Amino acid sequence: MLPFCQWLYGSGLGTAIRESIWIFPIIETVHVLGIALLAGTVSLLDLRLLGFILKGQPVAQVARQVLPLTWAGFAVMAVSGFLLFSAEAADSYGNTPFRIKLVLMGLAGLNALVFHRNPVTRLRARVAGGCSITLWAGVICAGRAIAYFSKQP
Amino acid sequence: MSLLPLFEWLGRSLLGAFMQRSSYAFAAAEMLHLLGLAGLGGGVLMINLRVLGLGLTVEPAARLAKELLPYLAGCLATMAATGLMLVAAEPEKCYYNAAFRVKMALLVCAVVFSALAQRRWLERKAVAVISLLLWVGVGLAGRAIGVI
Repeated sequence: MLPFCQWLYGSGLGTAIRESIWIFPIIETVHVLGIALLAGTVSLLDLRLLGFILKGQPVAQVARQVLPLTWAGFAVMAVSGFLLFSAEAADSYGNTPFRIKLVLMGLAGLNALVFHRNPVTRLRARVAGGCSITLWAGVICAGRAIAYFSKQP
Repeated sequence: MSLLPLFEWLGRSLLGAFMQRSSYAFAAAEMLHLLGLAGLGGGVLMINLRVLGLGLTVEPAARLAKELLPYLAGCLATMAATGLMLVAAEPEKCYYNAAFRVKMALLVCAVVFSALAQRRWLERKAVAVISLLLWVGVGLAGRAIGVI
């Protein structure tokens, strides 16, 4: 993957974002506020799975209402995240928190997939909700840590 | 009256000394501040989008807001506590930072407006739009503290 990261870093897109004073912080701001749309909506569904909120509604009904917004949040985060990555791809490749973040996101996706593929029981819902909210909290913390471990000024 | 002495006192307090000495406290407080943002921002978003007819539309907006209130209060308290820690780490920098001042002003407006809206005019779409704009403004100004 390193050659791809180096290519993206050196591409016109990566260079333009890196060399502009304003573009990087603007995309970063979108990425940070997008947390509310993605992780904020996921956490509400997780809290329902855990049985803390919206107990008057079935899980499937809450999921049906929340998930379109979650996917919108995911799209915002994926696009802004890719643009930020393109500006520092060569550095991100070896960045430990960045790698941890990708692994945690993969696990969060896997957790959701396993939950959807199996019949819902109360225990399964609680385990899936607990894993999901923990993993997404980890994604946010690892994401913040990327800059602390960055070699760029 | 200037609030500078208050900020200076915060910097000299036990909390200030701890935040300035520890190598991990600032990063940890920032991460918790972001987790609070996810919870508070997500909840505020869902309540206001509900008024605009998006997302959690099965329950009436007032009941949804009431149900999420303890969760939102917990997230706001987390953000306030970790925010105080972050200010204690560099109080003078915050005091003279224009984005910080704008953020605090918008935060007061957003909290007061939300509390009033909760009591009476929650179901009006214009109220939801103003509330969303105020909270997004708090977030934008907050992000700008570290940029300017």
